Amino acid sequence: MVKTIIAHIKKDFRIEFRNRYAVSVSFSFAFTTTLAISLAAGGIPFSPQTHAVILWVIMFFTAMSGLAHIFVREEDRGTSLFLRLNSPALAVFTAKLLYNVLLFFVLQCMILPVYLFFMQLDVQSPLFFLGYVFLGGIALSSSLTILAAIVARAGARGALFPVISLPVSLPVLWVVIQGTSRSLGRAGFSSPGDMVFLLAFSGTITAVSYLLFEFVWHD
Amino acid sequence: MCGTTEISAPDRASGSSPGTSRTVMKYIYRLVYIVMPAAIAMAFLYAPPAEGLGESSRLLYFHVPLAWVSVLAFSISGVLSVLFLFTGNGERRELVHAAHNSAAIGLLFTVLATFSGSVWSKLSWGAYWNWDPRQTSIIVLMLVYIAYFSLESALRENPSRQRIVSAYLVFAMVTVPFFVFVVPRIFPSLHPDPVINADRQVHLESAMKISLMTAIAAFTLLYGYILNLANRVSAINEQKKGDLR
Repeated sequence: MVKTIIAHIKKDFRIEFRNRYAVSVSFSFAFTTTLAISLAAGGIPFSPQTHAVILWVIMFFTAMSGLAHIFVREEDRGTSLFLRLNSPALAVFTAKLLYNVLLFFVLQCMILPVYLFFMQLDVQSPLFFLGYVFLGGIALSSSLTILAAIVARAGARGALFPVISLPVSLPVLWVVIQGTSRSLGRAGFSSPGDMVFLLAFSGTITAVSYLLFEFVWHD
Repeated sequence: MCGTTEISAPDRASGSSPGTSRTVMKYIYRLVYIVMPAAIAMAFLYAPPAEGLGESSRLLYFHVPLAWVSVLAFSISGVLSVLFLFTGNGERRELVHAAHNSAAIGLLFTVLATFSGSVWSKLSWGAYWNWDPRQTSIIVLMLVYIAYFSLESALRENPSRQRIVSAYLVFAMVTVPFFVFVVPRIFPSLHPDPVINADRQVHLESAMKISLMTAIAAFTLLYGYILNLANRVSAINEQKKGDLR
């Protein structure tokens, strides 16, 4: 099982690095949006709350443009049937989940310096800021993976993914925006409650996704 | 429940026919004809106005039951989806129809709860909308329902539609407690204490408490009544489709 999962992750990264579709589209989106906001703001300083909102809106739509690709690609190329026949659903889902978590981590590592540079952001508690960003990233990518599998089976995928993802992701965005805002301002880290919430949310969603994936994946 | 003629396993085991249980439920739901007028009369005539809020506090007897039924309808559609996915090898299609009907009724009640809540918000806080954690929770619940219907439309041609939409309903049901029960407790809220709170007590005087409980019972019966009707319509439509085939 572990070998199959590793083989799937390797295959997905190899395909991604061959055409760099998800990374280039998602990063281009994040880069363009950051530049547009910075240009429009014209050097006007934003409050930590506004920065947190803008940063997470960019992160959310970056996830929207990149994370569904992992399943949509399999359906578009007709390789999903091969996967269904040759690999257990558990291995496929684990590989896709890990791939999405890693891909979103890479995207966040590219977006953050761009945002910090162009928005001239001064982070008061860098450690907590990174903690919120990466925990939020894990919570988002873990909840969006099963939704990506659902969307890949439907028509009008591009429009549908944000529609079905936003309500499910809102609890994460809600908590992570407040946490990021505190870490950017002088309040710093006040309570572990929101970090525990993000971990609990990711854990619960991943467990339920494992239970449901077989119903979504097989015909 | 859904108008099917086959006798289910639990009915065979208990020796009762599905017709009997359906009839019993039908009569229970018909109690709404008595309980709903009683709840309305109690809300306007029996319950005293709340201190500080005055007559506008009577909105409580409609807003709270509407919000309760929204969450109940959503939970029932999730539970029915779990039953469809994990029992009967996906053959019990009436469960999918019942889950769909429950979600549709839930959406209606969510819209009404949002509307009544915003009126109350205007009367109490001076603004129809201010993104209070509880207001946000109800609007997210509405978005979940809207997303479900969008997904169902997008999957219309897909033979696995019933399994996929059921999986989405289960997935959405799991996220609901996070923003209905957890998030409003993490962030400060202007909203009055929820009826089911940390003390596990209803903070109301007895006449108001009785009126509220009657209203909740009336709206729950109304939900059951509409769901029963909708399920019967779905069963007739299914039968018609079968006859055409």
